[in-house]
Amino acid sequence: MLAVSINAALGRGAILLGLLTCLSGVAVTIAGIRQHDLRALKSSARYAYVAFFAALLAFVMMERALITRDFSMKYVQQVGSRDTPAIFNVTALWSALEGSILLWLLVLTAFVAAVARKFRGRAGDELLAWAMVVMFVVGLFFFFLSFGPANPFTMGPLGVSDGPGPNPLLQNHILVLFHPPILYIGYVGFTVPFAFAMAALITGRVGEGWLLETRRWTLYAWGFLTVGIILGSWWSYEVLGWSGVWAWDPVENASFLPWLTGTAYLHSVLVQERRGMLRVWNLSLVIATFSLTILGTFLTRSGVINSVHAFSEGSVGPWLLGFFAAIVIVAIILIGRRGDELRSPGAIDSPISREGAFLANNVVFSAFAFVVLLGTVFPLIVEAVDNRRLVVGQPFFNRMTMPLGLTLLFLMAVAPVLPWRKASQEVLRDRLFWPAWCGVFSLAVAVFVGADGWAPLTAFAMGGFASGAALRQIVLASRRQGWRGVVGRANGGMVVHIGVIIIAVAFTASNSYTRTQEFVMNEGETVTFSGHSFTFEGLSLESDDVKTSVKAAVRIDGDQVYSPSRSKYVKQGMDIGTPSVKSGFVNDLYLTLEGTVRPDDTQARIKIFVKPLIMWLWIGGALMAIGTVLAAFPGKRRRPTAPVSAGLEESVQEVADHV
Amino acid sequence: MFLGTQRDSGPSTAQERIEAISQRLACPTCDGESVYESRSPGSQAIRQEITRQVADGVLADGQIVRMIDDSYAADLKLIPSATGFDALIWVLPVAAFVAAVGGLIIVFRRWRREGSLVATQEDQILVTQARQDKD
Repeated sequence: MLAVSINAALGRGAILLGLLTCLSGVAVTIAGIRQHDLRALKSSARYAYVAFFAALLAFVMMERALITRDFSMKYVQQVGSRDTPAIFNVTALWSALEGSILLWLLVLTAFVAAVARKFRGRAGDELLAWAMVVMFVVGLFFFFLSFGPANPFTMGPLGVSDGPGPNPLLQNHILVLFHPPILYIGYVGFTVPFAFAMAALITGRVGEGWLLETRRWTLYAWGFLTVGIILGSWWSYEVLGWSGVWAWDPVENASFLPWLTGTAYLHSVLVQERRGMLRVWNLSLVIATFSLTILGTFLTRSGVINSVHAFSEGSVGPWLLGFFAAIVIVAIILIGRRGDELRSPGAIDSPISREGAFLANNVVFSAFAFVVLLGTVFPLIVEAVDNRRLVVGQPFFNRMTMPLGLTLLFLMAVAPVLPWRKASQEVLRDRLFWPAWCGVFSLAVAVFVGADGWAPLTAFAMGGFASGAALRQIVLASRRQGWRGVVGRANGGMVVHIGVIIIAVAFTASNSYTRTQEFVMNEGETVTFSGHSFTFEGLSLESDDVKTSVKAAVRIDGDQVYSPSRSKYVKQGMDIGTPSVKSGFVNDLYLTLEGTVRPDDTQARIKIFVKPLIMWLWIGGALMAIGTVLAAFPGKRRRPTAPVSAGLEESVQEVADHV
Repeated sequence: MFLGTQRDSGPSTAQERIEAISQRLACPTCDGESVYESRSPGSQAIRQEITRQVADGVLADGQIVRMIDDSYAADLKLIPSATGFDALIWVLPVAAFVAAVGGLIIVFRRWRREGSLVATQEDQILVTQARQDKD
């Protein structure tokens, strides 16, 4: 009985502490700025640490409640169960709305505390102080959500001694432990650049300072978001049983939207750093990226949009929408107020230049984000205007985003070889020679091995072209700088590009060339499909406290046995199919057990998918993560007084001449 | 990777046609899933109907999609139509993209007209000082 009161009471107390701390943090820091009181400004770090402590305590209390099965709490009654394995009791915290806000709070306050710690020597800096204020305001909002509309520490009805446990789909793969936290680190991490952007607008220090301060924070947030998205795709592939990695589901789109604008920002920020241009655009992109995290949370956590993994209960919707509107309005007012100060001092000399390519890249990324946003919210608009139900699905997104994806591959090929300011025809001819040959070679080999369809072939050709450009840069940089040729923003960025290209090619191949066949097989029967033999060896029954599973034993190519299954989750009464996958570098053999099965059946319906290059999606994702780390690693520093374009150009040309 | 870019030997199976059609229809009972992704009874029923139609071999893919869509009260097509209000979903992205590209062209023209900034005397003094610092 005592444990019950400890979990709920300490949890609620922690949330209240966090709420009051953030409120005090805002008040004290603003007062410190107004009165130029260094002591008050220095104390804002302490508020950040206390807010982190409060979020951590609330998180720990909820985990404790789930692990000790404290069924006096409503949230544990909803997502906890006496039979759920320990690991999924831990992950149950983020399996529903209230708990996921707790995870958000933990990550957010960790970022605020980390910023406070990193810049502890510059407490008197007004830019930093305003950034802290903005982060405290965001923290205040989420503590408020957790205190009121999404309170996870409310008490449930008396006498409940067990619960259903998390959704069965969220307790049947280890990736549930990693995917949401990593995704949240990326998602929430964009709060830091957003806070500095707002601080720059408030203080009028709209030059390059805030960009440089937040460069690595943005990169890390982007990297985590990337890995989170890839892990989500992997989970979808391994668990959902439809053999796909991306369904353009609203929840997936909600994570992809800030990734798109964040990626655009990572490119356009280079133009501002090098040329002092695109100030308004960069501020807008950072603000859009953060706003989209809030809008995405609203869309998927308010119940306005149906999704297979959206949380539809709770009353957080209007609050999230209000917060989103407030961010957008305040940002527009601040940008409007700074008007002339944001005017760029220079001009882009030629569209055929590095900055011209970045600008084109930004247009395409923005169009991409617009298509995804429109496709996600269009059913809402139709319902509001026309009062009818409409589902916008994969075919729409595939059709609309395919040309944009191909254009991005083309820009990935061209942009890295373009010099800043202006490119002459000779330079272009010289630098695009090998990448273009890589593209032609890729196309020729793809055609030779039997690839067809204009879209896949264009993707393979563009993939070859773009990888040629990325490899060219890495080779040149490595010859010039040795091992440092793969670190730093430009070189690490090329490793990321290679990862993206691999994913694009793998995604295209798996979408275009998947083979499928369903077989009704008798025990002992062997079928051949797509050059592989499949022998059905029978069904077996496995059961534990949580589920009863019927597993089919299928031997592939006379070698190893794979076991797709169907499980009945006792408490939820849900029937879930779990695929079994033989992974390979060329093809994955993906098996599912279809229909209703009984363990004593001697016949089973086995569906076989032969999916090309799936493993390369994960390899590409790993390369993107590695590239992000390399990009964050300090590269060769240029003297601040060195001419920004000519120096690099000359040195690259010098190396090129030696090649 | 090149080995994975080949279309496997053999003609497309009837199953692949069924899968392709089921990707164009929404599950009538679940949240935002296609018939292809969903394992719900509603989707199973539609999949069986698609299987029947494919086996009959009379209707083309688009006709099967229309027939099944017509037999349900809700709109099951996952591709919005290009007419009426739904056409906005096709028109708006194209219009936005054209506007963005047009805007870029205008900006580039203006930049070309204005030319690069000319260094003022103050700028030149700054550069001279920086060079002296370097030496």
